[in-house]
Amino acid sequence: MNLTELEKIKSDTLETVGNKFDKDLRGHDKEVRVVLRNCDLIDPENINEYIARDGYFSLNKVLTKLTSKEVIDIVKESGLRGRGGGGFSTGTKWQFALNNESEQKYLICNADEGDPGAFMDRSVLEKDPHVIIEGMAIAAYAIGAKYGYIYVRAEYPLAAKRMQIAINSARKNGLLGQNILETDFNFDIDIRLGAGAFVCGEETALISSIEGDRGMSRNKPPFPAEKGLWQKPTIINNVETLANIPQIINNGAKWFRGYGTDKSPGTKVFALAGKVKNSGLIEVPMGITLGEIINEIGGGMAKKQRKFKAVLTGGPSGGCLTEKDLNASVDFDTLIELGSMMGSGGMIVLDDHNCMVDIAKFYLDFIVDESCGKCTPCREGTMHMYNLLDKITSGQAELKDLEKLEELARLVKKASLCGLGQTAPNPVLSTLNNFRDEYVAHIVDKKCESSVCKDLINKYEITNSCIGCRICAKKCPTNCIGGELKGLHVINQDECIKCGTCFEVCPVDAIITEGVLN
Amino acid sequence: MTVESFEGNNFYEDDRMKEIYTNEKFKVLDECIEKNKLKPGPLMPTLQDAQRIFGCVSEEIQEYISKALNESYSKISGVVSFYTMFSTKPRGKHIVGVCTGTACYVKGSQKLVDKVCEILKTPYGQTTKDGLFTIAPTRCLGDCGKAPVVMIDEDQYGHVTVDQIEKILKKYK
Amino acid sequence: MSNKVKILINNMSVEIDNDLTILEAARLLNIDIPTFCHDDRLNPTGSCRMCVVEVEGARNLMTACSTKVRDGMVVRTNTKNVVETRKGILELMWANHPNECLVCEKSGECKLQDYSYQYNVNPDSIFKPLNSRDFIDNSNEFYTFDSRKCILCGKCVQICSELQMTSAIGFDERGIDTHIKIKQHDDSIDGVIDLYKCVSCGNCVNNCPVGALMPKTKDKYRNWEVDKIKTTCPYCGVGCQFNLVVKDNKVVRVEPVKGGTNDGLLCVKGSFGYKFINHPDRLKQPLIKKDGVFVESTWEEAMDLIVKKINETKAKHGPNAFSGLSSAKCTNEENYLMQKLVRAGFGTNNVDHCARLCHASTVAGLATTLGSGAMTNSISEIGGTDTFLVIGSNTTETHPVIGVMIKQRVKKGAKLIVADPRKIELANMANVHLQIKPGTNVALANGLMNVIYNEGLYDKEFINKNTNNLEDLLEVIKEYTPEKAAEICGVSKEDIVKAARLYASADRAAIYYAMGITQHSSGTNHVKSMANLALMTGNVGKESTGINPLRGQNNVQGACDMGALPDVLPGYQKVFDDAVAKKYEKAWGVSLSREVGHTLPIMMNEASSQDIKFMYIMGENPVVSDPDTNHIKKALTNLDFLVVQDIFLTQTAEFADVVLPAASYAEKDGTFTNTERRVQRIRKAVTIKGNARSDWEILSELLTRLGLEANYNNAEDIFKEMASLTPIYAGLDYDRIDDNGMQWPCPTSNHPGTKYLYKDGFTKLGKAIFTPIEHLGPQELPDSEYPLILTTGRTLYHFHTKTMTDRVEGLKATVPDNFIQVSPDTAKQYQLKHNEFITVSSRRGSSVAKVQITDTIDDGVVFMPFHFADGANMLTNPALDDICNIPEFKVCAVKVNKC
Ligand SMILES: Nc1nc2c(c(=O)[nH]1)N[C@H]1C(S)=C(S)[C@@H](COP(=O)(O)OP(=O)(O)OC[C@H]3O[C@@H](n4cnc5c(=O)[nH]c(N)nc54)[C@H](O)[C@@H]3O)O[C@H]1N2
Ligand SMILES: Nc1nc2c(c(=O)[nH]1)N[C@H]1C(S)=C(S)[C@@H](COP(=O)(O)OP(=O)(O)OC[C@H]3O[C@@H](n4cnc5c(=O)[nH]c(N)nc54)[C@H](O)[C@@H]3O)O[C@H]1N2
Ligand SMILES: Cc1cc2nc3c(=O)[nH]c(=O)nc-3n(C[C@H](O)[C@H](O)[C@H](O)COP(=O)(O)O)c2cc1C
Ligand code: SF4
Ligand code: SF4
Ligand code: SF4
Ligand code: SF4
Ligand code: SF4
Ligand code: FES
Ligand code: FES
Ligand SMILES: [Mo]
Repeated sequence: MNLTELEKIKSDTLETVGNKFDKDLRGHDKEVRVVLRNCDLIDPENINEYIARDGYFSLNKVLTKLTSKEVIDIVKESGLRGRGGGGFSTGTKWQFALNNESEQKYLICNADEGDPGAFMDRSVLEKDPHVIIEGMAIAAYAIGAKYGYIYVRAEYPLAAKRMQIAINSARKNGLLGQNILETDFNFDIDIRLGAGAFVCGEETALISSIEGDRGMSRNKPPFPAEKGLWQKPTIINNVETLANIPQIINNGAKWFRGYGTDKSPGTKVFALAGKVKNSGLIEVPMGITLGEIINEIGGGMAKKQRKFKAVLTGGPSGGCLTEKDLNASVDFDTLIELGSMMGSGGMIVLDDHNCMVDIAKFYLDFIVDESCGKCTPCREGTMHMYNLLDKITSGQAELKDLEKLEELARLVKKASLCGLGQTAPNPVLSTLNNFRDEYVAHIVDKKCESSVCKDLINKYEITNSCIGCRICAKKCPTNCIGGELKGLHVINQDECIKCGTCFEVCPVDAIITEGVLN
Repeated sequence: MTVESFEGNNFYEDDRMKEIYTNEKFKVLDECIEKNKLKPGPLMPTLQDAQRIFGCVSEEIQEYISKALNESYSKISGVVSFYTMFSTKPRGKHIVGVCTGTACYVKGSQKLVDKVCEILKTPYGQTTKDGLFTIAPTRCLGDCGKAPVVMIDEDQYGHVTVDQIEKILKKYK
Repeated sequence: MSNKVKILINNMSVEIDNDLTILEAARLLNIDIPTFCHDDRLNPTGSCRMCVVEVEGARNLMTACSTKVRDGMVVRTNTKNVVETRKGILELMWANHPNECLVCEKSGECKLQDYSYQYNVNPDSIFKPLNSRDFIDNSNEFYTFDSRKCILCGKCVQICSELQMTSAIGFDERGIDTHIKIKQHDDSIDGVIDLYKCVSCGNCVNNCPVGALMPKTKDKYRNWEVDKIKTTCPYCGVGCQFNLVVKDNKVVRVEPVKGGTNDGLLCVKGSFGYKFINHPDRLKQPLIKKDGVFVESTWEEAMDLIVKKINETKAKHGPNAFSGLSSAKCTNEENYLMQKLVRAGFGTNNVDHCARLCHASTVAGLATTLGSGAMTNSISEIGGTDTFLVIGSNTTETHPVIGVMIKQRVKKGAKLIVADPRKIELANMANVHLQIKPGTNVALANGLMNVIYNEGLYDKEFINKNTNNLEDLLEVIKEYTPEKAAEICGVSKEDIVKAARLYASADRAAIYYAMGITQHSSGTNHVKSMANLALMTGNVGKESTGINPLRGQNNVQGACDMGALPDVLPGYQKVFDDAVAKKYEKAWGVSLSREVGHTLPIMMNEASSQDIKFMYIMGENPVVSDPDTNHIKKALTNLDFLVVQDIFLTQTAEFADVVLPAASYAEKDGTFTNTERRVQRIRKAVTIKGNARSDWEILSELLTRLGLEANYNNAEDIFKEMASLTPIYAGLDYDRIDDNGMQWPCPTSNHPGTKYLYKDGFTKLGKAIFTPIEHLGPQELPDSEYPLILTTGRTLYHFHTKTMTDRVEGLKATVPDNFIQVSPDTAKQYQLKHNEFITVSSRRGSSVAKVQITDTIDDGVVFMPFHFADGANMLTNPALDDICNIPEFKVCAVKVNKC
């Protein structure tokens, strides 16, 4: 394969299927498709369609016209920051690896996407696999790596399959392997599957896993760029980060900086989910406000009568943003300032039927499950944090438990070995920060305002606002709700099992709960 | 539904084990091992192959791999127990996964989990007595837009409600 | 590579190498930083988080154990934040830990306990206890693992995999369920060896910072009640350094010493094999045989009798009716006195010891080709070797700590060739395993040299400069084409070629060998073949190369050095060298025989034929260890008078007229010289119960009673006399060797000792000598009546005639019975079942053994350890090597029968 052949494939393909590329798949005007530009437009199993969308032209440009240093300079200039969560400058990271004189270096694409409630990378892997290969090849060229790995989450078998097909056809077309694009650049990629461990998204744990070990994180420094896979310099980049690369090379750093903010240029893909009307993947320029995302693109709350309460960003490492933050700019630094973080891009909208203490506990439960168990603060500390939260949600806590919880949160944060433990307390700290009253209410009043914490609910009762729609009566698993259509309904307290279904389904919030103490 | 209430379930008698260890399966595993040995870090791929071939990575299979890869048994068992996708006991014919990722959780997936356990009379994370279903702990299936999501084998169901569960499970009985 | 940097810790400035960590820097300033998971020998993992410090400019606290210093770094180790963090970590540990200090053996030496106290951990602030780890693994014979006390620092896992290289111990599960799991020894599996099972080395146990991994012991002691005395392991020639932990005059534990010979590593015998010291079977009183039974006597009475017998025998039969067996278990000082007793007291050179059965061929073979019979290089040089040729040494079982070091080095990329009839542990990680037939080493060596020469892989420059006689050698090896060698050895030609290339093309190749080379009726030639091979490739006189005979007993090197040999006085000075003899005559005030004495097997023959009348055996057990037991029993029976001086009533002592109770290594001072020529101290840790005496005290008294001057107040006095007469030891004294020992030759008091030999060429001989050698083969080969080849040797868990190891419960329980290893096919052929007892017979006798079916041994070859009385040596062939008289322990013909 060479430039002429690339061009020929492009024009041939455009001629035959070109018109299907004209669709605008954006759900909203405010969206911009850079990373997702090919998703749902091209046939991911057909390399020609990728080429027709200018695929592999960047790689060709890089291999024939640019030195490693020049590539890195462009990426640095673009201001691209890692989309895996940390937001570290991609160009700078590559520079570290380039500076290292080791013979053997590795490039790893992090496709572990373990953050529950996020599925950005999955789309790219399944729908535009070649962009990852091209991004990886460029990165490899920039740092001087000959081998690359894609570490794909085990839960994404289709993604792995599509990636394998793509790798095979890239190889067949001289775009991977020896003498890529007829230059003397050699690079090849192997897929490695995860096996169900969230921590393996953390770069050093991921390396342990590829090496065939327990996915336990390693202390840094040394950083992977110095001593990574098999003790060799290794660069790990997120799928989305790499998917940006070919475009940056093709269109230039300036073009990229045309989107987003000065410190957070470009776009970001978010998985918008939760109690929002339009959920799904969106790609927006950074700097957009939270309000725009939730209310305009997301169309506001899924249930009209529900009030927006918070949005969770950054998954188990992040925190919550509230009403007061709706005008804030969505970019790496602002989100951190506000006590949350960008994370990989999960955005889960909560309404007033979500209890923040319960959410914090949910995340801790996840962390306790997923902690690799290596270091003391994370392994032991998060378990105690969970226990304290459990104590709070079950009405057994005292105020001094809250102090203990905060103290522990700080300890785990500052003393843990890896990012998992260091950020694990964030959901607690952030919810405490924004919703301290809710915690105190659980502890002092033994009351869960959102009616989530079952142990604090004594009974469900139907108020006068009942419109007699019968929905609750129909859904009740024990058939213990009586009442006429359009008449006031009543719960037979003797048969009620407090499952909360009626509370959940009532369209007018006519059902309330009573706390244990009342 | 509490987990304790089903404790004491005893899964699989020996004759099911016989089915698991067939010579053909070991032959397939041997081929995979030969292939994996060519790669650096062959342990994970080999365990994944074994899990696929046998439906589990029991102690016996771990011993077998230990010899074949000249790798410490302790290490292998440490790796197997670290990752949730490896099981040391054979799993059910169908894997039921109710997503308990954040998006699904906030949309009430815990209720779905409880319902599944109740219907199958089996604790979370375990396999039904008849070996038909395993209720596999599941985090984010990557389809949060359709939360809550249930996955049975390769089939994914979105926006699932508690009263739909029974009907969905019936399809696999 | 490293540069100096300047850093500031707690406002103290220090200039250090930039490859040091903050922890190391702090130590230089005597600043204490607490650690759980750190160990200088391991890669830092940073898992416990106890060592956190503040580094200016860093976002988080940093772990001192893993963070390298940077120029201008400003570190604070004791801020409020740091202290609170550490306290928090301790609280977390405590909350998942039983509150059992009151009854915990670790109390007083437990880091968790110490730090909890130091950091004012408040038990009331502890959260609900987790108890997430709750099992106790008691299945190992030597130690217990109490998961409840484990803080998961991971040291044991790292030690077992990175240092011990066994990987028997690992983490299991994850998160809060994480725990330690150990793959225990399990001999129920037949036919396969499991390389990754626990070998009970105790290296994990010895480093656990808390009371989770603890030795099993019945002795109750508190850590503040004990004394620790540094000494040298009494088992094998590695010479590991450890402390004896003593309470109330009783050894209650062994604790390795870091740095030095073994850098904190031990094997199972070192860690747990001390319990024989206090065993009730210890001899406590002299015994005199009266009417066929032993009767306790006083020292007076026993000594009187011995002296009377000596005088009678001398008068009646002259000095050549005497012989003495010295002991590689005893100290240099004691060996020196023993040979002095035989030479000066009895007037004969009939003194020898077990080196005759062991490395006599090495001493003979290397002294004549290179100049000296010792290991050329040092243990620490293993770390620089590129290719190992391990031939006839089951290193991981017989020199376990050296075995571990070889494994470490191979794991780091060095190449390994193993030549052994059995697939020993090292063979499993070898690049080539040459599973040769017993007795075919010469053919193999010649085949290797044939390839090396023909492919031009020899070191021309070295040969020209340093050797003689190449032409003669070439004449012989040209016949040994790889095809022919392969055929004789029973291996593939390709493997020979591969091995030759690996060995010859390495920059630093080292040969490690032991009994598989030496114990043949042509053993001296096997040794010379090794010399040929090393000389041809220039692998002598350089660091990390060499010809390294692994000396077996704790002090077999020393016993040889001390002249417990019939032809040499201390320091290998020939008895017939007049100037040497005169020197000793002057020092000892007697005249000495210039006539070379009898070797051990010849002594036994002479005893048998009643030419030798009087024998004095100190610390040897020939009834079990010499070939052809029936012959030895007859020899001892035929003696007029036999003195046996031992710590136990051995099978040999049963034949004695007088038995003298000796002190063990733990009860006396002195020196042992290990396999790398390192002279190390042993130190008295406990006083003898009963009436036993140190061997040197017994011998001094005898010498005095025989009218010789022997006014030694202590072992050091003897050492001084010895050093003054022994050039290779002349520069050594107790002060100089106090810390880490020193390696001979050390001719003067400012000589630093010798790390490796022949650095300046082969000064003794002028040039090293190539010796052409033909393959001869063993003297007894299988035939239709005795169809199997028996080879004999050792196991990890027993030492020799197991006088000591059988008195250590765990060791005894691990290998309780004599056994015979047979291949699955051989087992099938003779219908042998795993674990059944069978009779094995040779032309000389028969023995009962338990069948162990294993794929580690070739068809038609069987292996039996010689540890058991009426075991292997009932069968072995007493055929001797003409040159050095080593017996052919490694090959004889046997048959097997159902019991
Ligand atoms: N645990 C333990 N350690 C010991 C001792 C002990 O009794 N127990 N004894 C100590 C003493 S004194 C000594 S000398 C050393 C001995 O140490 P080693 O020599 O290592 O021990 P052996 O078991 O006698 O024999 C070593 C190997 O030689 C192989 N062999 C047999 N015949 C041949 C042959 O013809 N050619 C080759 N190449 N190999 C052959 C055997 O299969 C065996 O694996 O161990 C010392 N260390
Ligand atoms: N079949 C067969 N036979 C062999 C071998 C073989 O490979 N195969 N190997 C041979 C080799 S290499 C060797 S080195 C010999 C070893 O043969 P031996 O030296 O005879 O064997 P050990 O059992 O070590 O005997 C040492 C004795 O010293 C005693 N002892 C220990 N400490 C002291 C002390 O401080 N003072 C005194 N006075 N006594 C003490 C012990 O109790 C023991 O009785 O065996 C040889 N025999
Ligand atoms: C607990 C944890 C989980 C992580 N999971 C992921 C992940 O699923 N995908 C990802 O790309 N990065 C993940 N990261 C971040 C990676 O460690 C790493 O920083 C990232 O892959 C670097 O790529 P980037 O520079 O392109 O962002 C995770 C980090 C932590 C601490
Ligand atoms: S912080 Fe948690 S996940 Fe990270 S190393 Fe420590 S225990 Fe493992
Ligand atoms: S291990 Fe240490 S802290 Fe634990 S009970 Fe024993 S002495 Fe106390
Ligand atoms: S057993 Fe001891 S050394 Fe091993 S992890 Fe536990 S505390 Fe650490
Ligand atoms: S005793 Fe030795 S082999 Fe056994 S687990 Fe401990 S370190 Fe490993
Ligand atoms: S290797 Fe040898 S010297 Fe070291 S502990 Fe073991 S037996 Fe003793
Ligand atoms: S959280 Fe359930 S599919 Fe993502
Ligand atoms: S000693 Fe540094 S982290 Fe354990
Ligand atoms: Mo020996």
